[in-house]
Amino acid sequence: MSLVSFLPARRRSRHVGEGITRPTLGVAGKLSLAVLGLFGLLPVYWLVATAFMQREDVFSKDRPFFPFNPTLDNFGAFFEDTALLSALGNSVIVSAGTAAVSVLVAGLMAYSLSKFRYRGRNLFMVMFLVGQLVPGVLLLVSLYLMFSAAGLLYTYTAVVLAFTTFTLPLTVFLLKGIIDGLPDEIIEAAKVDGLSNLAILFRIIFPLITPGLVTAGMFAFMRGWSDLLFALTLAGPDKQTLPVGMTTAFIHEGSGDWPALMAASVITSLPLALIFIALQRYFVSGLAAGAVKG
Amino acid sequence: MTMTTEPPPVRAPARSPVRAGKRTTLNGRDRTFGFMLAAPAVALFLAVAVYPLVASLGTSLYDQSLIRPGRSFIGFDNYSDVWPDFVDRLGITLVFSVFATVFPLFLGLGLALLLNARLKGRSVLRGMLMLPWLLPGVVVSFLWAWIFNDSYGVLNHVLSQVGLPEVDFLGAPGTAMAAVIIAKSWNTFPWMMVVILAVLQTLPREQLEAAAIDGASRPQRFWHVSLPHLIGPVALVTMLEFIYNFGSFDMIFVMTGGGPGTSTMTLAVSIYQYAFVEFSLGRAAAMGVLWLVALSVVCAAYFLLNKKLEARR
Repeated sequence: MSLVSFLPARRRSRHVGEGITRPTLGVAGKLSLAVLGLFGLLPVYWLVATAFMQREDVFSKDRPFFPFNPTLDNFGAFFEDTALLSALGNSVIVSAGTAAVSVLVAGLMAYSLSKFRYRGRNLFMVMFLVGQLVPGVLLLVSLYLMFSAAGLLYTYTAVVLAFTTFTLPLTVFLLKGIIDGLPDEIIEAAKVDGLSNLAILFRIIFPLITPGLVTAGMFAFMRGWSDLLFALTLAGPDKQTLPVGMTTAFIHEGSGDWPALMAASVITSLPLALIFIALQRYFVSGLAAGAVKG
Repeated sequence: MTMTTEPPPVRAPARSPVRAGKRTTLNGRDRTFGFMLAAPAVALFLAVAVYPLVASLGTSLYDQSLIRPGRSFIGFDNYSDVWPDFVDRLGITLVFSVFATVFPLFLGLGLALLLNARLKGRSVLRGMLMLPWLLPGVVVSFLWAWIFNDSYGVLNHVLSQVGLPEVDFLGAPGTAMAAVIIAKSWNTFPWMMVVILAVLQTLPREQLEAAAIDGASRPQRFWHVSLPHLIGPVALVTMLEFIYNFGSFDMIFVMTGGGPGTSTMTLAVSIYQYAFVEFSLGRAAAMGVLWLVALSVVCAAYFLLNKKLEARR
């Protein structure tokens, strides 16, 4: 992936043969699209609708499918729950920490892989490519013992380190693809001007790839925000993030307060939706660089 | 976006002498600097991913508890203890990951082909259809647990309104598995969809047009022109999705916790159960090692198959 392909694609102009590459849909096609589309979207609707419904409506036998008397009570319940609020705070800290550490570590690594040739470089690439296939649950026991021995168990540090590590394959290859698109002449010119290696990296390369760094940071943030497994085992009761907090509050204690759970779910999903809207253009190319390129 | 079906580029630099030759200014000091830049990421990866994997080999040979200090060497006892469980959970995991990979694949393929058409509001629809994939795994699990809920779930509500008996979806073994597969498929299909859509953009326009002029029907064009281009990238994402599903933890953990009984107890949930419910770290590690062996077999099979396909092309 070059820098050029990372930039938003320009809208292609219509041309003569477009009916072939991009046909119009018949009735059957429109019908299938409607069915599949509804399967995709109805559950999302139900998530949001339940969050705004009156409790008596949700649990009544002739429940409406539309929140006729929409209420914010379910959201209010979230902001009165101190456990969930502290989980929200933890989520912000841990995800932002993951984003910051990931961008720095992955940025250095990507520059190294892209512009330098040294022994072990290929080994590193293979390690990251294969490493992302190893399921996190296989490392759970050892990670727990390791962080426990290091006195890091139930700290933000442990969770951020775990999140960052498993985000690295994605962020490193995403950024490497972008740096690959920068011509070597930039570096050589900077060198002729007498800049040190570090100055080149921080004053020339990183500023040039700022959109890429932001994208990588957002991906890392989303991973940290969504994860359950590591947050559940390494964060402990005090540092638990929203996914863990919600699971313990609603599922394991069997409260059955579904409207409140849906409201909490909407709150949890909102930052991700906003990030998606902001980064929509880079999403596929970015993720494909990390997950598929190989 | 570039997508290749090649195995990791082990010998990439050797194959690109031009690039290497251009780097005349790179002296030994620069090379050291490059290595130093890689150090933090590599150190982190070695410490938090590679070391734990290797260490679990050791742990699997010990009787070690999560809550009691100390451990004693017991050889391969853990392996013989977990073997029957492993076989059982492997079957459950395979059922889950095969269906949770195939359904989204066909859903995604269908939607991609439909959305590739000329259509009003196409990009809006495509954006909205990304939502299921965007939601955190726990939210997807809560949502579907709510939809499938036995007393107040919307699905049972609809069933009773059309006069059908209500079903305790998450409380019966067969339907519980179907429910988690549906939830996971709903969660993954957008990803398949966008990947296939992206590949569809790169189809050779000239070939499609030539085929059309030669009188090939739309299905024929799909089968003979589009499909050969799709198959490589799609096989790769399918394979990756299968591996991810194989290790998927959060949705089953939240929706069923592995139950009822052990009917949805996949390997991932099972390992968690061994380690953090039964506190038997040795057994959890042994289970993980067996899993790793199975995973390696699957990966090797894929790469062999892929090589054969590439050779034939």
